[in-house]
Amino acid sequence: MSVTLSNTPVLTTERLVLRAPVAADWPAFHAFMTDARSEFVRPGELDEGKAWRAFGHVIGHWVLRDFGMFIITEKGSDAALGSVGPWRPAGWPEPEIGWSMWSAETEGKGYAFEAAQAVQAWVRPTLGWTRFVSYIDQKNIRSQALARRLGCVIDPAAAAIEEGVDAWVHPEGAA
Amino acid sequence: MSIAQAFEAAVPQLETPRLILRAPRLSDFDAFAAYQASERSSFTGGPLERNLAWRSFGHVVGHWVLRGYGIFVIEEKTTGRAIGTTGPWFPEGWPEPELAWTLWAGDIEGKGYAAEAAMAGRAYAYEALGWTAPISMILDGNTRSEALAAKLGCVRESGFTHAQFGACSVWRHPAADAQGAGMEAYA
Repeated sequence: MSVTLSNTPVLTTERLVLRAPVAADWPAFHAFMTDARSEFVRPGELDEGKAWRAFGHVIGHWVLRDFGMFIITEKGSDAALGSVGPWRPAGWPEPEIGWSMWSAETEGKGYAFEAAQAVQAWVRPTLGWTRFVSYIDQKNIRSQALARRLGCVIDPAAAAIEEGVDAWVHPEGAA
Repeated sequence: MSIAQAFEAAVPQLETPRLILRAPRLSDFDAFAAYQASERSSFTGGPLERNLAWRSFGHVVGHWVLRGYGIFVIEEKTTGRAIGTTGPWFPEGWPEPELAWTLWAGDIEGKGYAAEAAMAGRAYAYEALGWTAPISMILDGNTRSEALAAKLGCVRESGFTHAQFGACSVWRHPAADAQGAGMEAYA
């Protein structure tokens, strides 16, 4: 008995494959959500039950919106290294591209940039997005650096999702 | 086929005399959010504001992928209205696999819908998933749900305090092979 997400897109970059989440990604997601690394993308401390529900929503978002967070994997391995993708839960004022790398070992290789750049290029023609943002905590220095590298700038006039979180607008590209 | 259509095709659909039990859909969200915003949801972890209700509904969908089963949305045949959920449920943090049910609004109570749906959900769990004697967890004070559990032949076993939802009772369903527990009239 199994139910999987299907008809979901797969994006391929030079070194990475971005695919929809599967049940087998739960341990990696759980490890991330209970680690200090995830402090900027969760509301306080999460126990296992809350982390589980958050991951359920990551999956369900695909069904509800027809798009969602891709899981970042290296070519030749299906192990989940992080997530990146278009994101629009209820309450989000504008469409977002969100990202997270789930462990320190995979940092410093430019993977997050490579993955986010692929998604940036994908959402414009595929979802028809023109203006979209990334919501980044003002204390999340690494994520801000990635946003700059992707050509994003803070829009002080953009609607906020919470205090202390800036909306970084992505550059307009050819749709 | 959209991702939503593919999901819907992957989730089984059950039918009772008056109800359809089917995959959750985006179009159910308003009714779900209204339920979560009401005091009715105080026995299932609510009330929740709309943004949190969205994440909860996302998890209702995602649970199907994570476990291979999940709760169905109950649809009233005559109106097509989504009126609640029922089915096998086992998020992390649960002591055992559960049969869950909720009706989302007061005006569809008193018709026996919850029992009709829950029996179909239970028959599905027994026959398709091979479950034997699952539990239902009912928060203290939810007397309507306790009455339904008794009607379904459940026996109250023990208390349990859930980290997020609080004090509740564990009700045990009759074993799959017990007369009337599995097949009922709706299989």
